[in-house]
Amino acid sequence: MALVERMLAGGPWRADEVLLHEPVRDRSVTAWHAAINAVMAGCRPEYFPVVGTALAAVGDPEFKLHGPATSTGGAALMIVVNGPVREAIGLHAGGNLFGPGARANATIGRALRLVLLNCLDCHPGVLDQSTQGWAGKYSLCFAEHEAASPWEPLSVSRGFRAEQSTVTAFAAESGHNVVVHAASEPERLLLSFADAMAALGSLSAGRSVIVFAPEHARYLGLAGWSRARTQTWLYEHACRPLADLKRAGKVEAQFLVNAETRRWLYGNAAGPTPDAADAHARVLPGDDAISVHRGLGPEDILLCVGGGAAGGHSAFFPSWSRGRSVPFVTKEVPA
Amino acid sequence: MIRILDPTLRATPPRTTARAVRPARLGGATLGLLANGKTHGMAFLERVAEQLAARHGIVEIVRVTKANASAPALAEDAAMLAKRCAAVVTAIGD
Repeated sequence: MALVERMLAGGPWRADEVLLHEPVRDRSVTAWHAAINAVMAGCRPEYFPVVGTALAAVGDPEFKLHGPATSTGGAALMIVVNGPVREAIGLHAGGNLFGPGARANATIGRALRLVLLNCLDCHPGVLDQSTQGWAGKYSLCFAEHEAASPWEPLSVSRGFRAEQSTVTAFAAESGHNVVVHAASEPERLLLSFADAMAALGSLSAGRSVIVFAPEHARYLGLAGWSRARTQTWLYEHACRPLADLKRAGKVEAQFLVNAETRRWLYGNAAGPTPDAADAHARVLPGDDAISVHRGLGPEDILLCVGGGAAGGHSAFFPSWSRGRSVPFVTKEVPA
Repeated sequence: MIRILDPTLRATPPRTTARAVRPARLGGATLGLLANGKTHGMAFLERVAEQLAARHGIVEIVRVTKANASAPALAEDAAMLAKRCAAVVTAIGD
């Protein structure tokens, strides 16, 4: 059997089955075209169920792929995999999980990128207008290190059972290494994460992904901190005064007209009326007392675990867009 | 034997529709503005509309802003613009 037919046979889809429809440009990617690109990427046939499910996830209407695939923001398609398929295909969750070393990690994400290039015409400098892009756009697929997590697997927190395999897709801007070597109490440990999330360069209404290194995850588990408590603490502390954002030119007049950005900036505080839009980008009395958080609530912070046994190096990935276009999308990988 | 497979969709071009009939003149016409939903899309289109109105005597302007710049225009918005407007201007503004 030829390579493409073998790839296709690795999944449950018919050759003409549409795995991804991109509505803005009305393009449909079939399993056949996905299989050709997966072969070009270097995938083995047993990876194809993950490739196809990842395409379905980023093709979910809620994901609105056209934006992150073409925007100046330069997002990568992050794919986090949970469940038995991780070990079955050798998807790596340990040391260097974002970097080189594992064929499945390198090629599944590459297959997505090739589909974007070949089927959706997301060519750099043409339809893909990323100002800088980043290395994750080559491939950003990894497994959660479920055994090193103090919590239920990410997939279970997303409503699936542990024995189901899933992919969770996210449009990620470049990651920040969060290094902490000498803090094991949750409040001290998490301060560095909240600080990275609240950096002026990153602070937005957008969502966040934190990939805790096993060492950091262990400290949270030993202290009995749940996933929800950790999310809440991070949300409450990943903030800075509205005045800081205005001084840094992070607040635009139009933000006041949009209900969502207005809620993000002012919450329950009384902000200026939309009639005062021209004025509100300037620092006003009281702006130092208004805290602006990253995201709109604790549920906007997705937590998972990955990395090697040694080292206090975790990662924070902000979402694409200063707005809230891209949700987390989780789909089951067919057995 | 070498078999060549096409990884692109060029062999199946996207569906297209015929271009709308271009109005001969805009005097007395209704002009549609379709902003893509980025921050300053409608602000930019308003300046375009000012110029067109001053030059061509447009009598009415219909404004639609997409709720999300990453999504297509809603079918009902497109149908309304097609029904009411002699011409529609669309643009990105960020």
